[in-house]
Amino acid sequence: MKYIPVIGLEIHAELLTKSKVFCGCANEFGGEENTRVCPVCSGMPGTLPVVNQGAVELAAKAGFALGCTVNNYSAFDRKNYFYPDLPKAYQITQFQYPICSDGIVRVCGKDIRINRIHIEEDAGKLIHDDAEGISMADYNRCGVPLIEIVTEPDFRCVEEVQAFVEEIARRLKYADVCDARMEQGSLRVDVNISIMPENTKEFGTRAEIKNLNSVRAIGRAIEYEITRQTNILEHGGRVTQETRRFNDRSGETASLRSKEEAHDYRYFPEPDIPPVFISEERLDRIKAEMPEMPNVRFERYTNEYGLLEDEARLIVEDKAFSDFYDETVGIYPAYKETSNLMLVELNRCLNDSNGKMSEIKFTPQMLAELVSMSDKRIVTKNAARDILAIMFETGSNPESIARENNLVMSTDTDELERIVEQVIAQNADGVESYKNGNEKIIGFLMGQIIRILGKSADMKKAKEILLEKIK
Amino acid sequence: MAIKELHKQLSAKEKGAVELTKRYLDRIEKYDKGINSYITVSAEKAIKDAELAQNRIFSGDSGLLTGIPLSIKDNICTLGTRTTCASKMLEDFVPVYNATVVEKLKNSGAVMLGKTNMDEFAMGGSSQTSYFGGVKNPYDLTRVAGGSSGGAAASVAAALCVAALGSDTGGSVRQPAAFCGVTGLKPTYGAVSRYGLIAFASSLDQIGVCGMTAEDCAIILAVICGEDKNDATSSDKAKGNYTELIGMSLKGKKIGIPKEFFGEGVSDEVKTAVMNGAEVYKDAGCELIEVSMPSLKYAVSAYYLISSAEAASNLSRFDGIKYGHRANGETYDDIIKKTRSEGFGDEVKRRIMLGNYALSSGYYDAYYNNANRIRTKIIEEYASIFEKCDVILTPTAPTGAYKIGQQEKDPVRMYLSDICTVTVNIAGLPAISTPCGYDKDGMPIGMSIVGKAFDEANIIAFCDVYEKTFCRKMPKERNSVQ
Amino acid sequence: MADKKLTEHLANLSKLSFTDEELSRVTDEMTDIIALMDMVQEIDRNQNTFTLPAVDYDSLRTDNADKSFDTQEIIRNAKTKTNNAFTVPKVV
Repeated sequence: MKYIPVIGLEIHAELLTKSKVFCGCANEFGGEENTRVCPVCSGMPGTLPVVNQGAVELAAKAGFALGCTVNNYSAFDRKNYFYPDLPKAYQITQFQYPICSDGIVRVCGKDIRINRIHIEEDAGKLIHDDAEGISMADYNRCGVPLIEIVTEPDFRCVEEVQAFVEEIARRLKYADVCDARMEQGSLRVDVNISIMPENTKEFGTRAEIKNLNSVRAIGRAIEYEITRQTNILEHGGRVTQETRRFNDRSGETASLRSKEEAHDYRYFPEPDIPPVFISEERLDRIKAEMPEMPNVRFERYTNEYGLLEDEARLIVEDKAFSDFYDETVGIYPAYKETSNLMLVELNRCLNDSNGKMSEIKFTPQMLAELVSMSDKRIVTKNAARDILAIMFETGSNPESIARENNLVMSTDTDELERIVEQVIAQNADGVESYKNGNEKIIGFLMGQIIRILGKSADMKKAKEILLEKIK
Repeated sequence: MAIKELHKQLSAKEKGAVELTKRYLDRIEKYDKGINSYITVSAEKAIKDAELAQNRIFSGDSGLLTGIPLSIKDNICTLGTRTTCASKMLEDFVPVYNATVVEKLKNSGAVMLGKTNMDEFAMGGSSQTSYFGGVKNPYDLTRVAGGSSGGAAASVAAALCVAALGSDTGGSVRQPAAFCGVTGLKPTYGAVSRYGLIAFASSLDQIGVCGMTAEDCAIILAVICGEDKNDATSSDKAKGNYTELIGMSLKGKKIGIPKEFFGEGVSDEVKTAVMNGAEVYKDAGCELIEVSMPSLKYAVSAYYLISSAEAASNLSRFDGIKYGHRANGETYDDIIKKTRSEGFGDEVKRRIMLGNYALSSGYYDAYYNNANRIRTKIIEEYASIFEKCDVILTPTAPTGAYKIGQQEKDPVRMYLSDICTVTVNIAGLPAISTPCGYDKDGMPIGMSIVGKAFDEANIIAFCDVYEKTFCRKMPKERNSVQ
Repeated sequence: MADKKLTEHLANLSKLSFTDEELSRVTDEMTDIIALMDMVQEIDRNQNTFTLPAVDYDSLRTDNADKSFDTQEIIRNAKTKTNNAFTVPKVV
């Protein structure tokens, strides 16, 4: 029998606030054990949580980025369980009234529904020492603000899941909500997966795979689960509802705890934190600060600018890159030429030098000038690439680079004609072959001309003269 | 002696602040062995505080509380001075920060004599569940001091401090104040920051004051109240001068007397004493109005479900890992179970069990939600009563102080005896208890004046009128005090 | 009405352990206490449950990082610690 997987996601994203969600400790990654901790986030008796406005703002932005309704009223609850990384023995989260609900994100030509986004606090980190048989609790991460994005079980294949996670990561980065570094744990994915026979409507029993920290791991874990659950069903067994962990080395998932041992979290409204009201005006103001999302840019690039989907996808991947592109074409609207220069030459420079967009020495204004010079045939396309490489190195303006390096296109027609004639004279066989119908030979002849003229040659003009003379 | 009078003597240099503190420390040394109102006496720190206060007085930088020796309930965190909640769990816990109220008292120049005894984690009405032994009533050492702030009330009654900070979750300041014959003020929820008060039930807890008079309570409240950036439930409505209405005329004011508070279970002696108190107000020109609170019969159950649910969660952090008692065990689970089983007393365990029952899957709506429906109902009933009256008058406790061992072992009986006080916490209102008589055993009887939210100045003024007419009998330990 | 099974379940949620003898006593006490609590079942379910009044977004804490506490202060009350971290027997 053929089975179809049914998959839903819970994505935890750390918010890029300056301070933790319920106290003033700095929100940073790493550091020595228990150095970014105070009585509040270490759960000392008598302390109280106070909500960070920044965390609420970023959670609302996440909602706007993912097409959700951002609610005027949201409230916090306690989720009670004992674990050494949770000093209060309860996690403050939003259970009954989340900050955002009902979002839609389109990937792979399909709408994926987001059930909710809520704010919660991260737990600490445990470092395990096998030799000593101990676990050491570091509370630096306790109280780091998180949002949890919960989707409906709308995914039916690995590709959809991976595309979705990448899209979410991209949008959160665009909105400056989360840096989405999966390898550092600032974006973590739990996968709920069940399988059902084709042509049925009823979902199977699901397993939850916790804390996947790369897009690749998500794919491997899902593939493994599909095989595992299919094997169980085909041998007449039943899938148990349980939490599983993915082992990156073996590529397998293993049971953490089954439903029978599942926690009774005893959620109840957090009495230390009043519910939060956000007015429509305030929400409008937060929304107004939102940058254009990558999916909207993609549409603009492909529909209005005529870029290929692959080109558009590459440009929107990084917001700083895409911003630079937008600013450049905003000054001089040569969409294709700018895209080509940036995707080929600029990316090569960035890769070769391990550079970052934020550290680029030249401005969009300068790049626009370069594009315009190329477009107006003041420099050749080849020369433009060389100029860009020098701009990347030095930050000088394209015009002076072109001048200093003799890259300004030659406009002397007499000189051109003289050289074309010289090449025709030296390649009589080639000219003869052209006249017999070998059009390919033109390329060879042009090559000879460029060898003499150099990159400043007006290729277009040269070709015209050549064709005229050997007609 | 009243705070104002002491302040005058200190300012006039008729008395030295250090000398005053030492006098109280000596009294504690002499009398507290019998009463057991203190868990920790911080003598050295007190004298240092007093020296600082004296310097401030010399330099003219003093307020009403500068140099005044106070006691602090042992569930309020004091930097560097152990804070035990009267529990084995926190026997050696030394906070690394000051509660907001402690910080405010410190800034006012008040002197902290020590930390007072209480029911373990403030759960109880007798102060007998303390890991450090029960508090005895200064009027009769064979009787309870009430609770949970029994140490606070007893320390004031026996003049082992001038006034005391306590905490009131369901009557824990007012009821011991009534049992020990002193004044006890429970402010509006949010009037005083809870930051540093080791939580029992977050939505009900409020720091309050025990003093000899309503005016003393008002003076201290004015110092400790106000919005606090560390407590999101604190309010900016609480500020100002709580003594400003003292001396106002009560002519034409309306006092509501809810009949349900005088029902079965409330002793005749108590009913009579409180109604005599009401007569005093009538003589002062007040109108007495019979009012009704039909939901009072549900109040105790609702209170215990809400407070225990919150307590179960609040006390989960005591697992032996970060602070407090730690038992040995093979696994994490072993350690926390053993730690908690050894560290908590029976009553605390019962509340945690009850709280988890109310919150657990399958019972949540029937218990926790219904209790909160009753909470809303009681708030509405108070609101409708206050449409007709300025204040409400009730007994503080159904009886006077009883013999130690008489009823503390019967949880249900103990819970029911909170009937007169819990609705005030459920509705977040201010109330003040003051002595209004003595029972046949000579034990004090208290009556409570309940006000609208943030109407402390009003109930303090009402209370003050009564106190100026009432002749108190003080316990004999108090006699030598000047 | 509480039975031993319920008491054991609650003890487990509460991370408390009781001897058999204690368990019977606690079960009896819980039975009496729950009987008192059952009063709340009489309330009209249409009555709203209680919630704290909401606060406006504008009054929330501004996102600024303060200095954290000294690590030694944070761990000073812990009975077992290694390398400035709290320690427990290895979990998982």
